[in-house]
Amino acid sequence: MASTASTAWTILRISMEERLAYRGDFMLGTLMRFLPIVTQIFLWAAVFSEIEATTNRGATVAGYGYHDMVAYYLLTMLSRAFSSMPGLASGIAREIRSGTVKRFLIQPVDMLYFLFLYRLAHKLVYYAVAVVPFVLVFYLCRGFFVETPQGWVWVAYVVSLLMAFLLGFFLEATIGMLSFWFLEVSSLLFIYMLLSFFCSGHMFPIDMLPEPWATVVKAIPLQYLAYFPAAVFLGKVQGAAMIGGLLMQATWVVAFFLLARWAWHRGARRYSAFGG
Amino acid sequence: MKCAIETSNLAKYYRVYSKKEGLVPSLVGLFRREYREVHAVRGIDVRVEPGEFVAFLGPNGAGKTTTLKLLSGIITPTSGSASVLGYTPWKRENAYRRRFALVMGQKNQLWWDLPAAESFRLHQQIYDIPEASFRQTMAELAGMMEVEPLLHRPVRELSLGERMRMELIAALLHSPEVLFLDEPTIGLDVTAQFTIHRFLRHYQQTRGTTILLTSHYMKDVDALCRRVIVIAGGRLIYDGSLPGLVERFGGYKIISVLFSDGEVPPDLERFGQIVSREPPRMRLRVDRQVVTATLRELLARYAADDVSVEDPPLEEVVSALFSSAEERSRETAVTLTRA
Amino acid sequence: MRGFARAWSVFLTFARNSLIRDMTFRANFLIELVSSSAWVFMNLGFYLLIFHYTPSIGVGTGWGKWEFFAFAGTGLIINSLTSMFFMTNGDEFGEMIRTGTLDFALLKPIDTQFLVSLQRVEWSSAGNLVVGIVLVLVATSRLAGAIGPGQVILYLAFVLCGVVILYSLLFSFAATSIWLGRNTSLLDFWFYIVSFSRYPMEIYQGRLGRPIRWFFSFVVPVLVAVNVPARELVRPLYPRLASDWLFTLSAPVAAAASFAVCRWIFARALRSYRSASS
Repeated sequence: MASTASTAWTILRISMEERLAYRGDFMLGTLMRFLPIVTQIFLWAAVFSEIEATTNRGATVAGYGYHDMVAYYLLTMLSRAFSSMPGLASGIAREIRSGTVKRFLIQPVDMLYFLFLYRLAHKLVYYAVAVVPFVLVFYLCRGFFVETPQGWVWVAYVVSLLMAFLLGFFLEATIGMLSFWFLEVSSLLFIYMLLSFFCSGHMFPIDMLPEPWATVVKAIPLQYLAYFPAAVFLGKVQGAAMIGGLLMQATWVVAFFLLARWAWHRGARRYSAFGG
Repeated sequence: MKCAIETSNLAKYYRVYSKKEGLVPSLVGLFRREYREVHAVRGIDVRVEPGEFVAFLGPNGAGKTTTLKLLSGIITPTSGSASVLGYTPWKRENAYRRRFALVMGQKNQLWWDLPAAESFRLHQQIYDIPEASFRQTMAELAGMMEVEPLLHRPVRELSLGERMRMELIAALLHSPEVLFLDEPTIGLDVTAQFTIHRFLRHYQQTRGTTILLTSHYMKDVDALCRRVIVIAGGRLIYDGSLPGLVERFGGYKIISVLFSDGEVPPDLERFGQIVSREPPRMRLRVDRQVVTATLRELLARYAADDVSVEDPPLEEVVSALFSSAEERSRETAVTLTRA
Repeated sequence: MRGFARAWSVFLTFARNSLIRDMTFRANFLIELVSSSAWVFMNLGFYLLIFHYTPSIGVGTGWGKWEFFAFAGTGLIINSLTSMFFMTNGDEFGEMIRTGTLDFALLKPIDTQFLVSLQRVEWSSAGNLVVGIVLVLVATSRLAGAIGPGQVILYLAFVLCGVVILYSLLFSFAATSIWLGRNTSLLDFWFYIVSFSRYPMEIYQGRLGRPIRWFFSFVVPVLVAVNVPARELVRPLYPRLASDWLFTLSAPVAAAASFAVCRWIFARALRSYRSASS
């Protein structure tokens, strides 16, 4: 048990050191990533001013006022900071294709476990550095946050963010494992990226979608990667609906955890049988 | 007749920044930099007549490649002047760039995923070569290099030797009057080297092209060049013939003696360093100045069936010369500065 | 004249060679084609959604649904032309400096900037070009008012100006890698800056918006790049007021100025080129 813990610590530490080398780039890169949101905010300002002028009352779009809308975009940035896993699936696919995946078949360390720690380290370093630009932006935009969550909603929000991280990880890991069966997964990955950008609510609140699209998009797990935590924060889902959402999110996490494990075991067996 | 290449006091100093990865460090680096000044070329004067085939020798980092890059206008010198075919290379005039070529053994310019023929076609357009002469030159060169069947195969499928031959053809399509070759045989096997030697010799003899070659391999030089220029630490330290180089820097000769009685007498060390002792033959390494005296004494004392005096192997002379030059340059060429 | 003919034939060979290369990796080519178009369609879906809630973008700006789609189509045409001819080359330029293969470009008896700017043609971007053209055609046909041939010619000229502006910005950034070393962040930076031209410039209002609009019109004129051609086509500037003339003129002026700056930076950078060995 002690040795497992020290292995885990070593993997974490080395991965963190690797990332810290680029902290300057990181901070600037994170700040730059807010730039497209600036144009988005101005677009919505224009849209809301138009609706206000034509309807003569407090304008809302799908239940979002202007302030809510801006706050929503900023919050999805935060959700994505937890749930996005750049290079995870493509990394797994590359290891399988090039055969370096063998090291996980030989060494007494579970691939999923290793990758999880590696990713955790990256994220920790990322937060340590990105906290500066994030705080800066949120402070500058504090006027857009009309209502902040109270008491338990905070807890629910943090839990939903953590689960967004887990879901993002196991979902992408599962997709990466598909390369045990298919040689070319890069196109699949791109489709996933597109869908997730659109359906996770990163581009706009998914409440805006007309039926039947809204029902479809809310039925698939992608909304838990960006939309759901933001909706919890803004009070768009409350009470029983919020608890139900959290339970649903947890169910998806467990489902993809099991799926990723299963894919790894089946895939590894297939790999050692057919070789590479 | 006018010189093909003439340089006067040509010098290139680099500031080498201790560059850091990433955007922010490099932006910071714009304002606060730590650097070393490296004197890659420190005042070189060379005159090359049209039609000469000259070798540039020197240890790694001696400034050979930098000199070629200066002469082809890729980089601008810190001071000094150069004129190739009457042009100043670093003005990068199109008229000049039409008349010379540079081949680098370490870099390739052909499109990796396309057949070499497609890259040649591109060269034809860039250099504005008339169709008829393009076809003729390409056929001729491909024939000499024995690569006709490979012209339509993607470059990535060719071996290193085949690729190098294609690079040479690409460089020669516009029939340059001056050709710079930077390590053209690096990494090639003996057969491939030989093919390129044979080609270059033949090409140079028939066309009278002025060629400057840098190489690590003495074989290249031995096979091709009559004139050798040695650069070390950014300075010219020798300019002359290859035998002359050995004469000047090989400070010793090898005396080989075949003793009549089948035995090699003991305590020969006092004559010089023993290179090999295979009775009845023995090889001695002796200072150039005392060769005659040593021979006289040896023959007076012992009975010998056969005696010969040889120059030391070329490789050995050059590597000894390089390592001493390298030591000297390490002391002076690099000055550490901080801004 | 002879020089132009030669440059043209060199360019055609670049285009041809790129096509041959793309056809050897056909699957890759198709994936790129489909995926970049899919991205565009997602964005168009988002715009449709917005017009589900509002009749126009901003009070009195005149950017109604079809005007806006003409704008988006114009942006798409300009961006896809830029990515078709220049994006890969801008990216490749950093790599040429890192590996020292820029040496070969410097040896050729042809303008170096021309050579490195057009070496590769990204044919897969042609898909988005077609989408952009169709979008502009559909949008303009839905709008009342005929479009005269003069307008079309001006439109095409302004689109060209837009491409020149984006190109100049891209290669000014790329050229700095001679001093800064290869930097992918620089190209990301370019993307983020260009993203400011996604929507009509009228949306930049207020205390923060005005400086942004001013900066991206006069200093880094990405707003000019798309707004001028789009307005020429769908928000007719006839009869032209003095301010309209100034606005229209800003496109060729901005294009010429950015191109001149880019040439200057490029030439300066080449002088500092050090040529990495091997």
